[in-house]
Amino acid sequence: MRVVVKAELCEGNGKCEAAAPEVFRLGEDDLSRVLVDEVPEALLPRVEQAIRLCPRQALAWVGNEPPARE
Amino acid sequence: MTAEMPLHAGDVNLADEDFFARGEAHALFRILRREAPVHWNPGGELLRGWWDITKYEDVLFVSRHPEIFSSERGIVMFEPVDENQRALASQGNGKMLITMDPPRHVRLRRLINKGFTPRAVAVWEPAIRKITGELLDGVAGKARADFVIDVASQLPLAVICEMMGLEKKDWPLMFQLTNKVLGAGDPEYQTDVPAAQRGTADAARVTNNLGTMQMFGFFAQVLQARRAEVRQDLVSVLVDSEMGGDRLSDEDILWFCFLLILAGNETTRNAISGGLLALSEHPEQKARLLADRALLPSAIEEILRWVSPVTHMARVANDDVEIRGQQVAKGERVVMWYPSVNRDEDVFPEPDRFDVGRSPNEHLAFGIGEHFCLGAGFARLELLVMFDELLRRFPDICLDGPVERLRSTFIGGIKHLPVAFAPN
Repeated sequence: MRVVVKAELCEGNGKCEAAAPEVFRLGEDDLSRVLVDEVPEALLPRVEQAIRLCPRQALAWVGNEPPARE
Repeated sequence: MTAEMPLHAGDVNLADEDFFARGEAHALFRILRREAPVHWNPGGELLRGWWDITKYEDVLFVSRHPEIFSSERGIVMFEPVDENQRALASQGNGKMLITMDPPRHVRLRRLINKGFTPRAVAVWEPAIRKITGELLDGVAGKARADFVIDVASQLPLAVICEMMGLEKKDWPLMFQLTNKVLGAGDPEYQTDVPAAQRGTADAARVTNNLGTMQMFGFFAQVLQARRAEVRQDLVSVLVDSEMGGDRLSDEDILWFCFLLILAGNETTRNAISGGLLALSEHPEQKARLLADRALLPSAIEEILRWVSPVTHMARVANDDVEIRGQQVAKGERVVMWYPSVNRDEDVFPEPDRFDVGRSPNEHLAFGIGEHFCLGAGFARLELLVMFDELLRRFPDICLDGPVERLRSTFIGGIKHLPVAFAPN
């Protein structure tokens, strides 16, 4: 699975870096960057958490529509 | 007129501002979360009805789907039945970030959001500490103060006015007009209305309209000055901005200023005063914080959850949609109640316990998604610095009279908070 940061939405709140520092890092410009190509299996729950917590909905899995409401 | 406390969801009417003025709204929210978490609040002859949304997950759902739940048809619960009144109430719709949908919202927000990122906010810390120090110096010798008037309102007011490059002589006017616009339903601010008519819906409308017009008149002069001479402030950034090759119009900029000044000074004020009130009412939590200052960041988050300074935001459904099994029809209004979702039993263990060490604490006091509070970083920093300095200098600060709350369903405000402390 791959995850992306939508740069036009990111405002550097840093929730993603706090949830999964192996996957996300805030740059000098206060934009979050994805550090890995494929998210390792073991980190999937924490990336899910980052996606859920991002105040700006700036994170998304690649190739997946937002999941339908459970 | 004092309404009886309802026992069941069918009797709950969240349009009744007196419940909020008395600080009793949580009892109503508890009933709704238990019995009718998506609750149809009937309107009446004057107002159209709306859906009350009181559960955390449902506010997440509404907030994350701006394509279904629009902000462009108004963000407050009240939608007058009368056509003229409706036109007046909706004059700002689609004109401000807060009343705008994507993609325009994203584009306009990007004009200024670089000034609100963590790094940009951190630059302000010395200034915020200096202002806070001066405010506390101002009351230090007195032993008593109205904490709202003397301290809590002054810090956010000073910061947003500095950011917008407003002259110090105009700051009291900004405070006064903010109260008229956002506190229009409270008789204390209805000073343009004869005393006998205060407290009515008409008085609220007149107060809001006059406050709005005076605010626009004021910012029209500021705008003229910045067009003549660009400076280093937010108004100048807007004057200098282009969107799709076009400059922002005067009207765009004036609505922007209107939003910035209101959002910047009414909300954090109430988090500061509400935070001090919460600490005073929970002396064991205050003692815990005084003993362990490393708890300050989590205490600030708990204050935000506890106070929820913005009480509601409304959206209008663009389509028929189902929320928690309830059918919401296209064109109907849904109202997200932040104080309720921030005490949702399904998310926060012991939600009615004020706990300065609470973790996790993913409250929604700043909203979430498309319209997440742009100024959240400033609010957090102002709160951190204020409580850091306040508890260091006045560890014994305590209540010294009755709390006076704002009569409003939109802002969880405190108008007056008498406090006493050992002078220093």
